[in-house]
Amino acid sequence: MAATSPESSLSSFSTTAYTPSTTAYTPSTTTQAISSSGFNFPTYTSFPPFYTLQPNLTTRTHQLELWSTLISSYCAYYRIFRLSLSSLPTDLFSNANIHRSLKPGDVRTVLDHMSKPENGPRIDWIPSTTRNEQSSSCYVYWKTPGEWADALHGWVDETGQKGTVLTVYELREGDAVRSKEWRDMDEGMLRKVLNVLVKRGKAQIFGQEENAGVKFF
Amino acid sequence: MASNRRGVGLSAFSNAAISSDQYARHGQQLRTSHADALANQLSVFQAALHNFSLTHAKDIRSNPTFRAEFARMCNAIGVDPLAGSNVKGASASGGKAGSVWAKMLGSSVNDFYFELAVRVVEVCRETRSENGGMIAISEVQKRITKGRAGVVGGGMEVTEDDIMRAIESLEPLGGMFKTQTLGGSKFIRSVPKELNPDQSTVLEVIQVLGYVTVSMMQANLAWERARAIAVIDDLVADSLVWVDSQGEETEFWSPASMHEGG
Repeated sequence: MAATSPESSLSSFSTTAYTPSTTAYTPSTTTQAISSSGFNFPTYTSFPPFYTLQPNLTTRTHQLELWSTLISSYCAYYRIFRLSLSSLPTDLFSNANIHRSLKPGDVRTVLDHMSKPENGPRIDWIPSTTRNEQSSSCYVYWKTPGEWADALHGWVDETGQKGTVLTVYELREGDAVRSKEWRDMDEGMLRKVLNVLVKRGKAQIFGQEENAGVKFF
Repeated sequence: MASNRRGVGLSAFSNAAISSDQYARHGQQLRTSHADALANQLSVFQAALHNFSLTHAKDIRSNPTFRAEFARMCNAIGVDPLAGSNVKGASASGGKAGSVWAKMLGSSVNDFYFELAVRVVEVCRETRSENGGMIAISEVQKRITKGRAGVVGGGMEVTEDDIMRAIESLEPLGGMFKTQTLGGSKFIRSVPKELNPDQSTVLEVIQVLGYVTVSMMQANLAWERARAIAVIDDLVADSLVWVDSQGEETEFWSPASMHEGG
């Protein structure tokens, strides 16, 4: 059900030999990065204590903010709509150059911080399919569902497609959306976005799964 | 002229008392005429400086090199360019003269430093949760030059000297901002709590070495373990250092190096 393209680019990241420097990101030859220069990691990702959850609460709050900004920017750059705790991008949560990485428990703490409404929310935990089990993946809102809804509806309006029925497949992967930021969006997330439009009375959904059709008003 | 006279009629001045008296009178004459000429030059200069500051107000605001030269010139003639803005200046460089200068140099200079002081206060407040109220002047300079987030063209081109002058102008507000030198770098302290000698020493070591561990403090400072731990606990509690627990021994780092090289 989940989109496959973001995940294949994620796994390529975990196997590339990434060596960050304090000044500029030097791309590895095997990377499939969107642009040849790659994500520009802020200097504080080379600061060793950044990877230790700070004991002082004032400092920790600030640290969590820095992590939130980093994760949002990174995901926006690589157009990552979903993070899975079992296969996180290694260069985001660790720095091989300084032999430091954010512990899994601390990754969860950061994501919990981002999931709070007062902090965005900038991520949304996806409930586990197994009962009483903690979530192990989340949607990343480098744009909020509301902002995506505006973008989607705006495009439908500009292209004169109000009133026609578009399939979920077309909205996600069609030729017409080749250049759009939401192309290849995780399907679960796209449904959330469509539901925002439904609530606003701007769309109606017919049918199930990938064959579902959407009519915009 | 004097040397010619000496060369020609040195024998005529063999009487020391007569010669020193004549020299004294001549010297007095010179001083009077010099003083008059100087007063005249100064009033011409006053007018020129006034016009200069009016026409170049924009340059004073936007060009740090120009500003530095301007400040150096003011200092050379004993004038505090910010004299109008603080009580201390009123008594500087001969009292009335100081404030008269300030009036002529115009509000442009004062406005610039006032605006800069506001920016400095903002930066210190915004970064307090990251550095506990101790921030390197170089970092303040970088952040102010970059400008406020989301504001186009909001950066001010300033030097560290400008920042120092702006901080000095804040003194009448009760000394909220002090500067301290640690390991050769100047820092601004914007929290009231002063560092005790042990704390200053540790921060200085961190500034020089990058980080410190309890063992390093014991070895380099010849401190007992308990003393080292007490000091470092204080620094952590005051948000002045960040903790790294992934090394062989717990390391304590200064946030000053967090954004360096960016």
